[in-house]
Amino acid sequence: MPSGVMGSTVSALSAAQIGLQTTGHNIANANTQGYSRQEVLTGTRLPQYTGGGYLGQGVDVNTVKRAYSQFLNGQVLSEQSQAAMLNTYHAQIQQIDNVIADPDAGISPAVQEFFSAVNNVAAAPESQPARQAMINTGNALTARFQSLSQRFIDVNNSVGSQIENSISLVNSAAKQIAALNHNIVMQQAGSGQPPNDLLDQRDQLVAKLNTEVKATVVRQSDGAYNVFIGNGQSLVVGASAYTLDIAQSPADPSKQDIVYNNLNGTKTTLQQSSLQGGNLGGFLTFRDETLAKSQNTLGRVAMGIAGLMNQQHQLGQDLNGALGENFFTQPNPPVFANTLNKGNAAVSATIANAAGYAALTGSDYFLRFNGENSYTLRRLSDNKEMHFDAGLPDEPIDGLTLSTTEGAMPGDTYMIRPTVNAARDIGVALTDPAKIAAALPFRTNAPLSNQGTGRIATGAVDKKLMLNSPDSAHSATDRALQNEVKLTFTSPTTFDIFDQTAGVPLATGMNYVPGQDISVNGWTTKITGDPAAGDEFTVGPNLNATADGSNILLMADLQTKNTLGAANGGGPTLTFQSAYSQWVSDIGNKTHELQVTSTAQTSMAEETVAAQQAFSGVNLDEEAANLMRYQRAYQAAGKAMQIANTLFDTVLGIGR
Amino acid sequence: MRVSSGTIFDANVSTLNHQQSTLLHTNQQVASGRRMLTPADDPAAAANALQVFQADGSNSQFMINRNAAKSAASMSEAVLQSVTNLLTGVKEKAVQAGNGALSPTDKEMIATELQGRLDELVALANSTDGTGNYLFSGFQGKTLPFLNTPSGVQYMADDGQRLVQVSTSRKMATSESGADIFMRIKSGNGTFVTESSPNNSGYATVGEGVVLNPKLLTGSTYKLTFTSDSTYDVTDEKGVLISTANQYESGEALVFPGMRVSMTGTPDAGDEFTIAPSRNEGLFKTLADLIAAIKAENPAGTAASSAQLTSHLSKAISGIDRGLDRVLTVRASLGTRLNELDSLQATGEDLGLQYKQTLATLQDLDYNKAISDLNRQTTSLQAAQKSFKQVADLSMFNYM
Repeated sequence: MPSGVMGSTVSALSAAQIGLQTTGHNIANANTQGYSRQEVLTGTRLPQYTGGGYLGQGVDVNTVKRAYSQFLNGQVLSEQSQAAMLNTYHAQIQQIDNVIADPDAGISPAVQEFFSAVNNVAAAPESQPARQAMINTGNALTARFQSLSQRFIDVNNSVGSQIENSISLVNSAAKQIAALNHNIVMQQAGSGQPPNDLLDQRDQLVAKLNTEVKATVVRQSDGAYNVFIGNGQSLVVGASAYTLDIAQSPADPSKQDIVYNNLNGTKTTLQQSSLQGGNLGGFLTFRDETLAKSQNTLGRVAMGIAGLMNQQHQLGQDLNGALGENFFTQPNPPVFANTLNKGNAAVSATIANAAGYAALTGSDYFLRFNGENSYTLRRLSDNKEMHFDAGLPDEPIDGLTLSTTEGAMPGDTYMIRPTVNAARDIGVALTDPAKIAAALPFRTNAPLSNQGTGRIATGAVDKKLMLNSPDSAHSATDRALQNEVKLTFTSPTTFDIFDQTAGVPLATGMNYVPGQDISVNGWTTKITGDPAAGDEFTVGPNLNATADGSNILLMADLQTKNTLGAANGGGPTLTFQSAYSQWVSDIGNKTHELQVTSTAQTSMAEETVAAQQAFSGVNLDEEAANLMRYQRAYQAAGKAMQIANTLFDTVLGIGR
Repeated sequence: MRVSSGTIFDANVSTLNHQQSTLLHTNQQVASGRRMLTPADDPAAAANALQVFQADGSNSQFMINRNAAKSAASMSEAVLQSVTNLLTGVKEKAVQAGNGALSPTDKEMIATELQGRLDELVALANSTDGTGNYLFSGFQGKTLPFLNTPSGVQYMADDGQRLVQVSTSRKMATSESGADIFMRIKSGNGTFVTESSPNNSGYATVGEGVVLNPKLLTGSTYKLTFTSDSTYDVTDEKGVLISTANQYESGEALVFPGMRVSMTGTPDAGDEFTIAPSRNEGLFKTLADLIAAIKAENPAGTAASSAQLTSHLSKAISGIDRGLDRVLTVRASLGTRLNELDSLQATGEDLGLQYKQTLATLQDLDYNKAISDLNRQTTSLQAAQKSFKQVADLSMFNYM
C-alpha cells in the first residue's frame, strides 16, 4: 500500500512541478509578442483493479497546450492587415496634404501674383519694370510648379524604396515561415506533442507578413502552413519559400512593378491591384491612385496655363513690333512605347488648340494596336474603351490628337500620360521683357481726310486662327495679320479691300452694312457710321504701340475665365484656380477619409487584438493564483509523501 | 471577462497616444490661428478658401487697376478743363478782334496773344501722364501726338483706346484719341462749309448756312462766281456749269439741294464764293487761320477787308464752338467714367470686406472654442494618465 501512495504522490509532485514551470514560463513570456499562454492538461492514471474496486494511481500530465484560437487569430490578421494598409496610405497622403495646405508652398499665391503682374503690364504696357515683374513672377510660378512636381517625384522615390523594403520583409518572413514549417513538422511527427513556442513564432511571422501584404494561410495536416498572396501565388509551400522582386515596368519607364520569381528562373509581373492590404497594399494604392493622379492633375493646370497663355501671347505683338512667341515653355504629352513591343512605330500625342486644353482629363491612356489599322484606346480613369478600325482618328480624343509612324506590330501597346510631366517641364521661355506681346498686332486708322462720319473699330485677332505651334515659327498666313490693308469706299455703300503689303486685292465691291464684321488676314473689325465715297480706312502693323495693352488684357482675362475641364464635348467648366482647388479638395477629402477610416480600422484591430489577447494573453494575476495553486498542490503532495514515508517506517518497525 | 495584462498597457498607451495627438492638433490650431491646418481638416472649406482667395486677389488687383484708370481719366479731365478755358478765352479774343474800332496795333496784340494761346493748346494736347506717356496719343504712348510742321499741326499718333480691366466684366477706356478731340472737327456747320475767296474785292459776306433736308444733299461743291453785283453763275467741283445768270439780292437766301445759305452785302463782279462738304479741320488750324486772318487784315478798314475779316472771324468762332462742343462731350464721357469708377470702387471695397470675412469664417480659428477644447483635452489627458498609473499599480504580486 505505501508503494501505491508513493507512486501517486510522485506523480502529483511532478505534475505540480510541471504546473509551476509552465506558470513560470507564462510569467516570463508575459510581454513576448505573439506568445500564447500555456496550460498544463492533466488526467488520472489508469486505475488498478483490486478486490475492493479500482484504486486511483495518481495523475498524468497529458500535454502542455497553448491557448490559441484560430478564429480569433484569423480575425486579428485580417484586421491588422487592413489597418496597416490604411495607416500607410494615410501616412503617405499626409505628405501631399501638408504641402498643398501650406499657403507658401501651394500654387495659389503664385498664380495670383503672376496674374497681378500681368494686370500691371496691362495697366502700363510700356513699363519695363512691370514687364520684368511679369517674367519674374512667371518664373516664380513655374518654379512653384516644379518644386511641387519635384516633391511628388521625391515622394514617389521614397515610396519606391519603402516598397523595396516591404518586399524584402515579405521575402524574409516567407523564408522563416518555411524554415519553421520544417521544424514543426519534424518535431510534431517525432513526439506527437505540439511544439507550442515554435507554433507561436510561426503565427507571429504570419502576422508580420500580413502587416506587409495580405496573405492567405492554409493549414496542412502535417502541421505546415502554406501561404498565398495576390491572386493565389504561393509564397510558402511546406518547407520551401518563393520570393518577390522589383522590376521596371515595361509599359511605363517611371514605374516599378512587383514581380514573382518563378521556380524556373522566369519572372511573372503581379497584377499590382491584386496586392491588397498591409503596408505594401497601402504604398501601391497611394502610388498608383493618389500620387499618379496628383501629378496628372497638377500637370493639367500647368499645361493649361502654359498652352492657353502661349496661344494668347502669340496673338499679340511685342515692343519690337513682332508677333508674340511662346511665353512659357510648352510641355508636351509624353507617349511611352512598351519595351516589349515587337514593332518600332512611334506614337505621338499633341494638343491642337484651346479646346484641346479644355478637354484634357488628367487621365492616362493605354493604346493597343490590334493589327489592320485597328486600335483600342482605354482611358485608365474610368476604363472606358474606344475602338478605331480605320487607323487613329484625326479629330482629338479628350483634347489629344494622336498620330503614329509606320511599323507597329499587332499587340504593341503604348502608354499615354498627357499631363504627367507638365508641372516638371513648364518654364518661362521669354527672357527679354520687350518680347512680351502686350499689344494688338495690328491697328486700324481712319485718315483725317475722310469726309464721311464712318468710324472703324479697334478690331480683334480672329480666334479661329490657330497659332499654337510650339516649336515652329509663325507661318506666312500668321504674318499676314500685320500686313498693310486699305479699305476704300467706292460709294457710300460699297468698298474694296486691298492688301498693300502683298499687293493683291482681297475683295472688291463689298456691300457696306454698318456694324458688320469685316474679317481679312486673320483679324476682324467693323465700320460704323456713314462713310462718304472716297473715304479710306487702313489696317496695318501696330508700330510703336507702347501704350497698347489690349492683348495682355486678354491674357489677364484667362485667370478668371473657364478654360479647363470640358467633359464630353461640353464647354470648359474650370478656371486654372478651380482646377487646382478641386484637386486640393480631392486630396483633402481623401486624407480626411483615410484619417477617419484608419482610426476606425486601428481601433477595430485593437479590439480584435484585445479579444484575442483576452483568450491567449497572459494575465499576471491569474498566473500568481496558479503559482499559489501549484505551490499548494506541491506542498500537499509533499505532505502525502511524508505520510507515506511514515507508513513505510511503521511497516519496517514491525519487524524490530 | 478575462483580460490579458498586456492589453491593459496596450489599451492605455493607445488612448494616451490618441489624446496626445488631438491635444497637439488643438495646440497647433491655437499657435497658428488657423482652423484648418491641412485641407483634410475641412476639404470643402479648403477648396472654397482657395477660390475666395483668388476672388479677393482679383478684386484687390481691380482696385489697383481702377486707381490707375482714375488717375489717367482725372489727368485727361484736368487737361481738357484747361483746354475749355483756353478755348473760351480764344473765343472772346476772336469776338474782340471783330470790333471795327480797334487799331492795327490792338489787332497785332490780339494776334500775338492768340499765337501764345495756340502754342499753349499744342502743349496741352501733348500733355504727358506721370510716367511720360502722352495722354492723347492712342496706342503710341511715346510718340509725340501733335507735331508743329510748316504746314500746320499734324497728328502723328493713332485712334487706339487704352483699356484697363476695372472689374471682372468691365474693360474701361482710359485714354481718348487726340485726333478725336482736337482734329476730327467738321468745318462749317458740320455738314457743309461756305467760303469767300481771299481775292474778292466786294464786301459781300456769306453766312454759315443750314441743312434743310439731309436726304437731298449731294456732297458736291458749288462755286458761285459773280458776273455782276446782282448776277452769278454756279459751277460744281469739276467745273461743270450748273446754272447761270442767277439773280442776287443782299439778304436773300440762296438755296442749293438740301441746304440754304444767306448772303449779305454787295459783291463785285468776279468775286467767288464756294459751298463745299465739311472737312475735318483741327482746332489748331482754326486758331492758326484766325491768327492769319487778323494779321492779314491790311490795309485795315476797307469794306472788302472788313467783310473778309468778318467772314473769317465767324468761321473761326463757329469752329471754336464746335471744338468746345467736342471737348465738353469728351469731358462728359470722362466724368461718367470717373463716376462709374467711384461706384465700382465702393462696390469693390464692400466685396473685399465680404471676401475677407468669408475667408476668416473659412480659415480662422474660433479662439474661445479652441481654448476651451484645449483645456478639456488637457484635463482628460491628465485623468487618463492618473487612472493608468493606478490600474498599472494593481497586482496580486503586491500581496505575495
